[in-house]
Parts: sequence; structure tokens; C-alpha cells
Amino acid sequence: MSTEDRSSTVAQTQQTPRYRVDLAMLDWLERRSDTQFVYMMLVPVFALLGTMAIWPLLYTANISLHADSIATADPLGEFIVLQNYVDILAGEAHLQRPFFSLSNPFTSAAPVTLLYTGSVIAIETVLGLSMALILNKEFRGRRWVRVAMILPWAVPIVIQGMIFYLMFQPSIGFAVDPLSELGIISSTPLANSRDGLLIAIIADVWKQSAFMALLILAGLQSIDRNLYDVAEVAGASKLQQFRTITFPLVLPALLVALLFRTIDALKVYGLIEATAGCNTVPTLSCLVIDLWNGHRYGSAAAVAFIIATVIGVLLIGYLVQLRKQETGGQ
Amino acid sequence: MGASPDETAVEPEAETETETNNVLERTAQRAIQDPDTVYRWLTYVGIGFFVTASLFPFYWLFVLALTPNESIAGMGVVPKGFNPGAFLEVFEVVPFHRYMLNSIAIAAFSTVIVLTVGSIAGYVFGRYEFRGRLPLLFLILVISYFPPVAFLIPLFRLFTGEVALFGISSPQLYNTPWSIVMPLSAITMPLIIFLLTTFYRQIPDGLEDAARVEGSTRIGALRRIIVPLSAPGVATAGILTFIIVYNEFFFSYLMVNGTADNWSPVLHGIFAFQGTQQVAYNLMAAASIIGVIPMAVLVMIAQERIVSGLTQGALKE
Repeated sequence: MSTEDRSSTVAQTQQTPRYRVDLAMLDWLERRSDTQFVYMMLVPVFALLGTMAIWPLLYTANISLHADSIATADPLGEFIVLQNYVDILAGEAHLQRPFFSLSNPFTSAAPVTLLYTGSVIAIETVLGLSMALILNKEFRGRRWVRVAMILPWAVPIVIQGMIFYLMFQPSIGFAVDPLSELGIISSTPLANSRDGLLIAIIADVWKQSAFMALLILAGLQSIDRNLYDVAEVAGASKLQQFRTITFPLVLPALLVALLFRTIDALKVYGLIEATAGCNTVPTLSCLVIDLWNGHRYGSAAAVAFIIATVIGVLLIGYLVQLRKQETGGQ
Repeated sequence: MGASPDETAVEPEAETETETNNVLERTAQRAIQDPDTVYRWLTYVGIGFFVTASLFPFYWLFVLALTPNESIAGMGVVPKGFNPGAFLEVFEVVPFHRYMLNSIAIAAFSTVIVLTVGSIAGYVFGRYEFRGRLPLLFLILVISYFPPVAFLIPLFRLFTGEVALFGISSPQLYNTPWSIVMPLSAITMPLIIFLLTTFYRQIPDGLEDAARVEGSTRIGALRRIIVPLSAPGVATAGILTFIIVYNEFFFSYLMVNGTADNWSPVLHGIFAFQGTQQVAYNLMAAASIIGVIPMAVLVMIAQERIVSGLTQGALKE
């Protein structure tokens, strides 16, 4: 819309009866101040986020403060403040699977989720770091090696689950017989809570290590090559170079990757549903779905917000850590 | 690669010293004299391991798909028989192509919405300084950290027409593509906004200012300067959105009832094989392979974009 356009807008609106709505709108938009313009432009995004994210979060927060009401049409029971949270955390809520029980950690929601999260991020950090170190080197066919490594990341969760479901299906999976003879898994791994968790961990490591590797790789590539030359001259071995140069400089990227993976792992649901099932491996998200299916909205919402709180605490801890890194480095 | 001349120089020397050296000793000696060789071999071993680990499950799906279902018991790692018909049978037993099309349509709708709304937001956040910019960005960031289960209850009620505003009940969106498209657009939006904000920020101010001084309107400058320059960033954002939505499980699973007529995406198509009279493992495997194909093609043709998008989006957040 150059000057001619604008003058013609004015001319048309003044002289001819044909009123061009689009041009008039443009003209009107042009006369706003920058701030007004900015907020106008942000209307669509906040309309979408408002209805699909902010309103649902407030609604969920509200129902988590109300009792379950299964019998009546109104989904909200009476207002009971934090009683849902207290019941769940104290183990007094009647849940399909216990929230926290140390005597059977593989069938209670919080230990299962924490075991899963801890294991996947530990394994993925090691594998992701080695993958990134490899991809950071120059070699023939690197492009195709990278394609091969990213491919699992791009697999739909349901197919990822299906692959490992088939692999550990007793009648057909090649992995079951040798592993159960070694005593690592039982002969029906998909029906056993401990083995189901193990399968989910393996499946997640297969899919997500590449994501970890890509973030770490970005950190690696930002390292100044000259540092290694200096280290070489100073007589540092490869291992020393890794300890003193590579690792500290890659740490910020590694922390971001860890944060992303941790949050993602805490939400796990689809992978479980597609492999051993929520009954065998009851994660926290599974618990929410179970409660929701039983129309116990208050408790379901409370568990959902317990997950959100854990994530929030992690996020704050991470931000503090990052701040410390930034100030400590200078 | 740079160390290879050294290596060839060392080799004959070692051989002439002791003629009875076997391969093992020679290698060990070479390793001591030139540790770079070891690192190179380690790299090759690593490449071999990771490539095998990544690709083996796909190979095994092929093995299962090609084996006729009656001889599928006690499968090893090679096919028992050759039955490519399974890839056609998939479409006969279950309308799998319908599920695929639903998934692709849902991913495409979401991509269009996310790109339209997200690039406006990314443009504004990337190129304007205004009061409330940081708090708003922080709000968007916070939204992206909530687990999907925290949105489920209200959204399900909203889409089944149980939420009323001013006496008008919400539209019935359950079993339509929109019940998946809308929440997923919102959930993907933060990543895309952060990605595009950094992208728009990198476009030099001078270009837009010049256009404005020349008498172009804000929208005119946006259309003539910013949009063409931002095309690569928007393409990256689009590919990422498409992949994320196509691969998503949570809302895709819960917001439709699982029939192809009701816009159920590919994950319900794959689960449908579990319900057939005799469990057809070979069809499950064949369907999984077909379901992965769109993603495999995308990764192969656009891996640079995917890598840069993922790393930038994540690290900038």
C-alpha cells in the first residue's frame, strides 16, 4: 500500500459511493499509534490461547477445589478448598491405583512417573551427548547418518508404542525369550508393571535421544574451535579437553534439553496407552484419565495440577540454575 | 580425516620393526602412537551403533509385515515368508486411508491456523517494543509448560456443548476435526511464536524503516518487506507444526470416538487392528509403516529446517 493507494482510499471514501471496506480498514489501522496497532495484532493469538488454554486452566483450577460429584448432573460438588489435594497426597483418596506407595512402587502413580522420568533423562543425556559428539565430527555421509538418527524422533507416538508393543509381545516378539531367560523381564512383559515400565523407558530412549542430541549439538557448534587449538598446544589430552572445554560450554544447552525432556517425561500418557496400558503402568497422567473416565472431576483436576506444580517447581529451579550459570561465568 | 597421512606413515615402520606382529598388536601399537586413530574408530563404532539402533525397529516392522500372520508365532529377526499383500490388506480390513487422510487434514488445518496467528504474533513480539511485551511472552511460555491433562476436562465439556455463555451453549465439536485442531493449535503456538519472534528479530530494522519513509503503510511494509524475508522461518515453523500435530497422541485419542467417519486420526486406525477378530500382528506392522511414511519423507527432504527449528525454538525459549 504505497502513497497512491492511500490517496485513492481517501478519494474513494470521499467522492465515490463505492466504499472499499478493506482499504478503509487499512487506513484506520494506519492511523493507530504503535501500541494500539500492536495490541490489535495480538487479538487473534490471545483469543485462541484464551479459549483453548487460559480459560481451561482456570476452569480446571476451580474444579480442583470442589468435591467429586458423580451422582448429580452438575459436575461440581461443594467447595472444599484444598481437600482434594490433601486426600490425594495423604493417600486417603480412593484411587484406582495408589498415588504413592513405597511397598509397591511399580503400581503407584508418583513413583512410576518419577522412575520413568529419572531413567529416561539419565539414559538420554548419556546417549544424546555421545550422539552429538559424533555428529559434530566431519565424516562422509553425515547427512544420512543424521537423517537416520532423527527419524525416530519424527515417529508418531502411537507407532512408537506399537513397535515396542510388538517387540515385547510374548508370542511374536524376538526380544521376549532371550531377555526372560536372562531373568531381566518376565515371560509376559506387557502384563507386568515393572517390565511395562522398562519397555516404556526403552521406547522413549529410542525416540527422544535424538532430540537431546540435536540441542546439545547446537551447543557444541557454538564452541570456538580455537579453544581446542590452545588446549592442544598446552598438551591437554582429549579427555581433558572434554572436561575443561566441551562440557562446561555445552552445559547451558544441555540444561535446556534436560528441562524439556523432564517436563515431557512427566506428562507421559500416550506411550503407556499404546504399549502396556494404563492399568499396568499407572503414570500420573493415566491417573487423571482414569478419574476423568469415572466422572470424578475434582480429583482428576487436582492430580492434573499436582503434575503442573511439579513442573513449575522444576522450571523455577532450572531458571535459578541458569541465572547462576550466567552470573558465575562472568 | 586430517590424521590419515600420519597413520599411513606409521604403518610401514611398525611392520618392518617386527615382522611377526599380528594384526592385534599392530593396531595396539598404532593406537599408542596415534591416539586420534582410536577416536576415529570409536566414532565409527558409535555411528554404527546409533544408526543400527535407530533403524532396526523399522526393519523389524518390515519383517513382521512381510510374514504371513499364520506363521508369525515365535518370530526371529528375518521374515518367514513373503507376503507384500499385507500392505494392501491394511486398507481392506480397516479404512486406513481414511484415517491417514483425516490425520493429514487435521495436521494441515492446524498448520494453517498456527502459521497465520503465530506469524502475526511473532512479527509483533519480534519487531515492536511495547509495554507488556515481556509479561505477555512470559504468559505464553507458562502456558506451554502445563500438561495436556490440565486442559482436558474443560475442553471436553466445551466441545460436547456443555458450556454455556449468556445462555448459548458451546457448539458440538466432539467428533469433528476442530476438537483436535483447536487445542493442538494452542499448544503448538508457544513454540512457534518463540521460533518466529527470534526469526523476525533478525531481519534488519533499516529495510522496514526505509519502506515506511517511502510512504508505505505498516501493512504494506509487512507485505512487501517482512513477508518475503520471513518465508524460510515460516516454512520451518510450518514443518514443525505439521510433524508435532501428526504425531500427537493425547487430544487425537480423546477428542474423537475412533471411527473414520468422525475424523479420527491415524492413531485410531492403528488401534483398530487390535480389535479385529484375530489379532493381525502383520497388519499392525504394515499399518505402522504406512503411518510413518509421511514423516519419513518430511525428515528426508527437510532435515536442515527441522534441526534448526527445533534447536532455535527450544534454546530461545
